[in-house]
Amino acid sequence: MNADKLRGLLSAWAALMTEKRDWLIELDSVVGDSDLGLTMSDGFTAASEAAAASDLTDVGKLSYQAGKAMATAVPSTMGTLMASGLMNAGKVLKGMEDAADTDFFQAYLEGVQNRGKAQIGEKTFLDGLQPAVEALKQGKTPQETVEIAWDAFQHTKGMIAKHGRMAIRGEASRDLLDPGAAVAALMMQGYAGIPA
Amino acid sequence: MKKIINTPERFIPEMLEGIYAAHPDDLTFAEGDLHCLVTKQKQAGKVGIATGGGSGHLPLFLGYVGKGMLDGCSIGDVFQSPSAEQMLAVTKEIDQGAGVLYIYGNYNGDIFNFDMAAEMADMEEDIRVESVVAGEDVASAGPTAEGEPNKRRGVAGIFFVYKCAGAAAAAGKSLDEVKAVAEKTCANVRTMGVALTSCTVPRVGHPSFEIGDDEMEIGMGIHGEPGIRRGKLVPADEIVDEMMEPILKDIPYRAGDEVAVLINGLGATPLEEQYVMFRRVKQILDEKGISVWHTYVGEYATSMEMAGASVSLLRLDDELKGWLAAPADTPFFKQFQL
Repeated sequence: MNADKLRGLLSAWAALMTEKRDWLIELDSVVGDSDLGLTMSDGFTAASEAAAASDLTDVGKLSYQAGKAMATAVPSTMGTLMASGLMNAGKVLKGMEDAADTDFFQAYLEGVQNRGKAQIGEKTFLDGLQPAVEALKQGKTPQETVEIAWDAFQHTKGMIAKHGRMAIRGEASRDLLDPGAAVAALMMQGYAGIPA
Repeated sequence: MKKIINTPERFIPEMLEGIYAAHPDDLTFAEGDLHCLVTKQKQAGKVGIATGGGSGHLPLFLGYVGKGMLDGCSIGDVFQSPSAEQMLAVTKEIDQGAGVLYIYGNYNGDIFNFDMAAEMADMEEDIRVESVVAGEDVASAGPTAEGEPNKRRGVAGIFFVYKCAGAAAAAGKSLDEVKAVAEKTCANVRTMGVALTSCTVPRVGHPSFEIGDDEMEIGMGIHGEPGIRRGKLVPADEIVDEMMEPILKDIPYRAGDEVAVLINGLGATPLEEQYVMFRRVKQILDEKGISVWHTYVGEYATSMEMAGASVSLLRLDDELKGWLAAPADTPFFKQFQL
């Protein structure tokens, strides 16, 4: 991951979240307050625009700046979590002009987890992203991880929600898909679509 | 929707313009952003206290910025957290070298943003920030188990936390000491609410939830979060009895204990009804031999036009009595030395 690749990745995420905005809104309306589609499209667009406007070559600093722009644009729960991923990747990769993609995604995952304090298996974004990051680390291609992430999204059905509005439903939350994990799958799809 | 507004989109900025116009000697804002409210009455060298959260709860949160209470507050749209960047702007403005304490309610959006702001203050500005998260609504979750995070929502009882921590900061206590006062206040305050009607978020345009003309919901949160029981509306004494029982069970009270009581209207319930409620609260406390050291009745944490009220009890010792008794002067709360 370098600064230009990150700009391309953020741009791909912004385009994909905008394209899938209505689908995310619909998914979220079953379990949340249906603003997920808006916060993800607005948030990643803000991050992408901030990165595009910057001439930084330090991929860490660029990620931190993009994350801050996202946090300011969409201070909702999910917006802040996604921004925390970018900002933590920024801290970990600070001072580097080129880093392994797996290090970027691992730092992103940890940033989200440290902010949200969720564990794997608690029906969140992490349950979509973590299996995909593990697969990347094991040498799977980005294209292969897309399918893994969508499978992981499907597997959030069956988990009991421990966080957010869905947690109020307790046992009844088992039957639902987690919209956060869908965002994770879209992120992997965007990643697979950019030049390696 | 029947509201005195111009447009839903301009509701919060115009509310803030009104606040600054009404209190020009006391309040201003940081970095050109109306949502970053700070006091003009700075007290040199003291620990700064900041709060923040979504709009729609006046006098919470910004109404308690002033002498003897808070120094700054970041404000989001209705029921939406402000951003970490806005919190950071307030933090920079109110830090006077003694550090800053964040006191805010236990909601994920606020927690994530305040945590991020605290990290930014440390990384980018070298400002030491500590946080106390208030969560005292006994209807929202069970008591916190050892080592577990507090799952309870923060509601009107946070007023007591602002008051006591604010007094400690005004007295020149250190950041760690002010934080300890805030934590002690949190540990001793409990709240329970009841809702009779819904509120309407202007940009949504319809009531946040449906509730029958003859119904009430015991334990509902100040954004309409589900309570513990919905049922037919019953006489005031029965409502208060049902609210007081879990409050009194949650902390081991003994005869001879002293408390401060806060009866809080949610927006559309008149003071008359709030005093009817307090009458019953006092009867219950008298029966248990718990004495009321001071009483606050009125609107302290609202949910726009929601009808309903909450009862908060703060168990007191000599230290907390001292902080509660100290004078305060903010646009929405004024008190002489008790």
